[in-house]
Amino acid sequence: MEQILYAIPFLGHGLYITLLVSAIVVALSLFLGVLFGVGLVYGPWPVALMVRIFSDCIRGIPILVLIFVVYYGFPQLGLNMSSFWAAVLALTLFKTAQVIEYVRGAIGSIPRGQMEGAMSIGLVFSDRLRFVIFPQAVRRFLPPWINGVTDAIKGSALVSLLGVVDLMQAINQVIGRTYEPMPLYLLGAFIYFAINYSLSSLSRMLERRYSYIRD
Amino acid sequence: MSDISQRREFLKLGMGGVAAAGAIGLVAMSGKEAAAQAAGDSQLRTIIDRGHLIVGTGSTNAPWHFENDAGELVGMDVTMARILAKGLFDDPTKVEFVKQDAAQRIPNVTTGKVDITIQFMTMSSARAQLINFSRPYYVEGVALLARPDAEIKTFDQLLAGGSATRISILQNVDAEESIHKVLPEAQVMQIDTQANVIQALEAKRVDAAAVDLSTVRWMVARDANRYFDAGKSWNAMLYGAALKQGDLDWLQFVNNSFSIAMFGHENALYDAAFKEYFGLEPPARVPGFPSI
Repeated sequence: MEQILYAIPFLGHGLYITLLVSAIVVALSLFLGVLFGVGLVYGPWPVALMVRIFSDCIRGIPILVLIFVVYYGFPQLGLNMSSFWAAVLALTLFKTAQVIEYVRGAIGSIPRGQMEGAMSIGLVFSDRLRFVIFPQAVRRFLPPWINGVTDAIKGSALVSLLGVVDLMQAINQVIGRTYEPMPLYLLGAFIYFAINYSLSSLSRMLERRYSYIRD
Repeated sequence: MSDISQRREFLKLGMGGVAAAGAIGLVAMSGKEAAAQAAGDSQLRTIIDRGHLIVGTGSTNAPWHFENDAGELVGMDVTMARILAKGLFDDPTKVEFVKQDAAQRIPNVTTGKVDITIQFMTMSSARAQLINFSRPYYVEGVALLARPDAEIKTFDQLLAGGSATRISILQNVDAEESIHKVLPEAQVMQIDTQANVIQALEAKRVDAAAVDLSTVRWMVARDANRYFDAGKSWNAMLYGAALKQGDLDWLQFVNNSFSIAMFGHENALYDAAFKEYFGLEPPARVPGFPSI
């Protein structure tokens, strides 16, 4: 307990980095994933093909390899970024590929008749998505996406491989000094759990909020 | 070996276009003189023009590189970086530390992300094919950490214990062999992290923990009521800094600064760190025949 209290002040900045990395990755991947996901489902075939290749390649590469490729490979292409942004970019690419698949699944599960019905009452494409497809798809999209968000938070610990001091690395720094691992690992587990449990609870609330839409 | 050759293949990606440095020499002079004379394409010149040194190191291994209670990066590796900054700019604070994982030590040097890696790096011929090592600044070894309150705590007692003696050590291909070199009958318990190797000693699961000699000295210097040096060390290994190949001016400068700090007249930083992190006084420097 004494060890835990001693460690807490050193973890603040690491926790901030963990939350910051997670927030950027989740926000960017949501935006890009929805964009590309719609491109995959409704886009002309060259767009759909590009998105399909991107998604399959990225999902087929271990995230660890992706991080090192971005960090060491991109400078060869003249794109030299800091450890922080290299890690954020790699995690975002990975997460975007997942979001694309969530979107494809969610939209794909809406019966064709919905799109055809919307077309028949004269809605343009953007309105068909906005008023007919998305409100129904979002309910199917949410549970896997929140699951993905908690994954992103846990996965953000990989940024320490590039020397970025996130929560996990801050914990390792304290252990490196005190050589008392157990209390600190427990503390780390508790902090990650607290963040992810709050998110899961929020997710359940959101799912209830959207449950008025019947299938 | 296959691990190293794989890494070498990976590194080839990052090895493109390393320009070879021109002239050799021009050492032992002030920063300004060096700036005037260092070959234009040497990293030494780049660093002097930049005004600070960029050093790759870790932050999770006392006493080498770790954060103190005030959150500042300190340790023996950090001190070696300060010694270089003192030599370059006459100001030990002009260092930017890039925190890196142990796996990044070589790639960050070869891709130019850092000017030099100083991160408890064991010098080996395999590694020297990828990077240039500086002269060694410490000789590491394996030693035994015991509990001062235990009945069996000295090396002779551990040896006399025969097969009843239990030793914890970090998981390693030749961990078992390494212990059996000095304690032929002891039971070896291989554990995943250095901190947990020591945890096993505290939890009385083992009679002694086999860790780096520097760790033993650090732990005993910090808290003699909890840790005891069993008084045996073996397996000497050299620790050196890593630099990009093909730049002899910069390498020579580093060697020069380290030599002056360890054997010459500017040894205040090295000595203070040696005392603080290993609890030892460095040997006296005797004028006359050079000891290096």
